[in-house]
Amino acid sequence: MTGPLLYARSRALPATLAALAGTAAFALWAAGRLDAYLDPDRRVPIVALAPLLASAVIGASLYSASDELDRTAVHRWWPRRLGQLTALTALAALLVVPAVLGHADTFGPPAVIRNTLGCTGVTATAAVLLGARLSWLPAFAYVTAVYLGSSAARGRAATVWAWPMQPGAQPGAWAAALAAFTLGAALYAARGARPEGVGG
Amino acid sequence: MSSIRVTGLRVRHRKTLALDSLDLVLGTGVHGLLGPNGAGKTSLIRVLATVARPDAGRVELLGQDTAGHRGLAGVRRRLGYLPQEFGYYPGFTVREFVAYVAWLKEMPAADVPAAVERAVARVGLADRIDAKVRTLSGGMVRRVGIAQAVVNDPAVLLLDEPTAGLDPEQRVEFRELLRALGASATVVVSTHLVEDVAAACTEVTLLDAGRIAYRGTPEALTRLGEVSEGPGDHPIERGYTAALRAHRAPGAREAV
Repeated sequence: MTGPLLYARSRALPATLAALAGTAAFALWAAGRLDAYLDPDRRVPIVALAPLLASAVIGASLYSASDELDRTAVHRWWPRRLGQLTALTALAALLVVPAVLGHADTFGPPAVIRNTLGCTGVTATAAVLLGARLSWLPAFAYVTAVYLGSSAARGRAATVWAWPMQPGAQPGAWAAALAAFTLGAALYAARGARPEGVGG
Repeated sequence: MSSIRVTGLRVRHRKTLALDSLDLVLGTGVHGLLGPNGAGKTSLIRVLATVARPDAGRVELLGQDTAGHRGLAGVRRRLGYLPQEFGYYPGFTVREFVAYVAWLKEMPAADVPAAVERAVARVGLADRIDAKVRTLSGGMVRRVGIAQAVVNDPAVLLLDEPTAGLDPEQRVEFRELLRALGASATVVVSTHLVEDVAAACTEVTLLDAGRIAYRGTPEALTRLGEVSEGPGDHPIERGYTAALRAHRAPGAREAV
């Protein structure tokens, strides 16, 4: 077996791809039960939760069981880390889009792609600061809090801090999500997930 | 010729000073690194393995300064490292895990299969090469760790507590492996087991509180024990405690 394949298996990428496919299938199934063609706002749970689940799956794949040995690698790590994170994020965004086709200005493909970027960015930052195993927690807490508390929020600031609940055409929400992804990807590429003791 | 040259090395671990202005030169042979818990042995090994950065000082391995990436890459190809605790990927077999480390070292792909089999055979696990690492006993996992450290025939081999978990027979075999490796490479072995040092090392460095407390041969440390009154069941153990106490005596540090 070649080095890149061993690397893919060391990061549990086959299981990650299967989990992302399962997440997409679940989102598609749930979206079909919402009768969203009557009211696109009914898609908000899918737009918020499908990217959250996908980002949790990606966060788990950032775990390195043998961090101490990995640090002795001849090749620099940041290109591999950045490649892994961006490829999985792009794949996750593509997989969750079919659940919300149409209604691009409200809760359609742009909104779910934006949320995938934002949630993955928060998760990657958490992997650096807390470790990969708990990386899903901050994004889960934040999106849940915004989901429960943003219905009454109005104004320009709310379009930024409540980015997971905003329509797809909202520039402030895109800026916040892109900033979260850029920060998370840069931090993870530079430092990797926080070591979490001996694995295996 | 020296393979390891450390000058003015200072390493902080959280808020404590793990290594304090350390100067050390090591060449081909097996070098035992002794010292009490917290003496700085693991900190030194981690800096030499290039996984931790020093706060001050210069580290040259195989003639290359490890501060720059170009020098670092060349050094890492010729470096072997067994951490005190190494994780392994749960789904990997012994063969796959050792091959993964060979890939990290950028060994030529065509050489990897034979190098993996040779390294695994050297630690006596040839019959378990296709077993999952997670199914092995603690001592076997430790031997897998030694196999990954020697897969690239390193010029500098750093072993942190390599005999932890090995039974007496395995330790005797491991000492033979150490002696064979030390004939052509610079091997640094951090351990608490002074009998391993006496049996396999050509030189001893004793660390205490981040400084070198003693340097010499195992025979010299044994002789020190034979003429001292310190505690210990064997002369080299008495030599160990005598050297430590001499280093800790008021006014002794400047003399080392």
